[in-house]
Amino acid sequence: MLRVVLTALLGALLALPGSVLATAPAPIDLQQLEQHPRWQALLHINRGATLRQRGNSYVADDAFFLADNGRRQPRAELRASIEQLAAPQSPARCQFPARYRFLAEQLQWPQEMAPFAHCDEYLEWRAEIPTGKAVLIFPAAYLNSPSSMFGHTLLRLDSAEDQGVWLSWAVNFGALTDGSDNSIFYIYRGLAGGYDGYFSIVPYVTKIQDYAHLENRDMWEYELTLDDDELSWLVDHLWELKDIRFDYYFFDENCSFRLLELMEVARPGIGLLDSLRFTEVPVNTVRSIDDAGLIGSRHYRASKSRELNHLADQLSPAARRVARRLADRPEQVIASADYQSYSPEQRRLMAQTAYEYLRFSHRTQERNESVARRSFTLLREIRTLPASALPPLPTPDAPEDGHATKMLSAGGGMRDDNGFGELGLRLTYHDWFDNNPGFLRGAEIEGLNLRLRKEESQRPVLESLQLVNIRSLAPRSAFVKPTSWFVTGGIERAFTTERRRAVRYLEGGPGLSWRWGNFHPYALSLFRIENNSDWDHWVEAGAGARLGMLWYAPGVTLGASAEGYYLTNDAYRHRATLTASVPVGRNNALRLDLVRDGWRDDHDEEIRLAWRHYFR
Amino acid sequence: MKRILLATALLGASVSASAVAPGGPGCGWGNMLFEGNNGLPMHLLASLVNGTSGNATFGMTTGTNGCDTSGNLTYSGKSLLAMNGVLEEVARDVAMGEGEALTALSVAMGVEATDRGHFNAVLHNNFDSIFTSENVTAAEVMANIESVLKADDALAKYSA
Repeated sequence: MLRVVLTALLGALLALPGSVLATAPAPIDLQQLEQHPRWQALLHINRGATLRQRGNSYVADDAFFLADNGRRQPRAELRASIEQLAAPQSPARCQFPARYRFLAEQLQWPQEMAPFAHCDEYLEWRAEIPTGKAVLIFPAAYLNSPSSMFGHTLLRLDSAEDQGVWLSWAVNFGALTDGSDNSIFYIYRGLAGGYDGYFSIVPYVTKIQDYAHLENRDMWEYELTLDDDELSWLVDHLWELKDIRFDYYFFDENCSFRLLELMEVARPGIGLLDSLRFTEVPVNTVRSIDDAGLIGSRHYRASKSRELNHLADQLSPAARRVARRLADRPEQVIASADYQSYSPEQRRLMAQTAYEYLRFSHRTQERNESVARRSFTLLREIRTLPASALPPLPTPDAPEDGHATKMLSAGGGMRDDNGFGELGLRLTYHDWFDNNPGFLRGAEIEGLNLRLRKEESQRPVLESLQLVNIRSLAPRSAFVKPTSWFVTGGIERAFTTERRRAVRYLEGGPGLSWRWGNFHPYALSLFRIENNSDWDHWVEAGAGARLGMLWYAPGVTLGASAEGYYLTNDAYRHRATLTASVPVGRNNALRLDLVRDGWRDDHDEEIRLAWRHYFR
Repeated sequence: MKRILLATALLGASVSASAVAPGGPGCGWGNMLFEGNNGLPMHLLASLVNGTSGNATFGMTTGTNGCDTSGNLTYSGKSLLAMNGVLEEVARDVAMGEGEALTALSVAMGVEATDRGHFNAVLHNNFDSIFTSENVTAAEVMANIESVLKADDALAKYSA
């Protein structure tokens, strides 16, 4: 506040008669000014990055424009800005400090000592906002929430002094939702631009709680190489975006896309938005920003569940069981000879494990007397015990070091003594056997996964088209008991009565999975509905199960599964598979599939070998 | 109607729907240790399109339990402790003797970097008198921290 008063005083003192606006020195080249990358970034002009509003501003809010219809008339907006920002006491300046600064520099307006002396609100805000450094935050995927697999991006602003990130600010672009939409409508609106998008600035601590604690996501933090000047452009522009409405589109104009625009404001001409960005997957945003040389260092923040697993890994199986009992009945177990027979360091680890487990397992629930009492007892126990040196939590591979998001495959094989060739294309994103670094084990999400097959002397046929395929294996342990599940839908070729033909299907079901070292066994129930022209009814339903195992071995990922289901028309199918995938560098892999398909009275065997190439 | 509500929420400081603290109305001084969270389903849903449900204000809420600090995003020790979930993290860090939440609290209370190690140790040693029970509230914790600081020669200057 003091600073505000001082600045205002300065402004008053320095608003000398001499500093009134001089006449413009030379005719202004509006064309050149309009094309300036920073000006285009400040106005959020679409330079061809997406299909909507080309040449216009993305901003959907009249309050952001000084000219009538400024959104669609960039030239008029530029003229209006020059007119309205030039006068020393202009109210527009308080709303558009970055625009003012840009025009004042470009048009060589007379230097003013305190151009914003009359803007109390802005000056107050500016004095509070931390401008030490900017950090790009990427909350990675978390298990059992496929939508999170794409991740999210936001910015963090830290103060210059190192004071812990809990006091930093988070700059987030998100859709403003009212929470009353059901999820189907929600997704539809998210895809069709039915939501308003706003920038918000909130305490970073709330984001840590949302992501690392509540949703249980690892967070990656990338320090940006923006210098003080670039950062001040960015911060001033954030003020211009206060309460300004954009349209929010899930696929392209989303949280990540808007951050790219902010990068352009800070460091114009890095070309992040010059070419078409069909979909903006957050991990590609991180890659683009990295490619533009904006990323300095990288820091990993583990989620609560990873911390819990790390603690539990330090204990012997027997100690782990004691820790588990400790969480349920701390007073009794602390008094027991069994617990007291461990060394103080071990006891501390056990108490910490029990505490973290208790907090983790009740993190989404209302306060509960018994849990609160137990948590408190455990904290008091921890306090009395000496700390043991915990080995650092191993940092997993960073998401941006993972394979690229799109995939093209070519291969061939034999089915029932017939040779065939096959081409595949997948729009997004990752399956169990794809090169694993940078991805969660046991998490699979695929959109638009297409395979075309041609047998000798036959026409090419659609072998399968998965519109969506999600399989989530969340391992159960002594401490957490999640449910695994899967859902898949699309077109596949299946044996009906006489022949293999394309059927429309949707299947899914809940299940269980575990983890023993690098082995991930699983058991999933399977419910299916199928639309098949060879059958009497328009749709048949079926139920069955699938058992299998994944093995993330060094240099190769292996899998085996067996499944079977009965349909309501008394047909049944069963299938056994073996899969092996060998990564070749980051963006290529060789995959072998062995399949045995069985149905009433007969079966087929198939062997497939394919080269998979991942690209952006 | 909803649009209008949303618009006002954007313009002014919004108080989130879950703002009524247990143990007392108004500003969240009644929030107890180990509060727990709620509304995860909404969170999961929101993450589908990265939604921000209802209160995407521009630095207008500090997330304190119903405390409205009108556009202020910097904290005193009080307002930090009053935030949902922070009390619990601070308690854990004090029991452990260090941690990010404890660092944030010391910064918010104006403790110099050179005194932070000592600050952490003093709080750690006085855990039992700061966190007197599992039902302790943010207000009580703050008061207890103040008296612990007062009793320490090096830290007395940081107590209000």
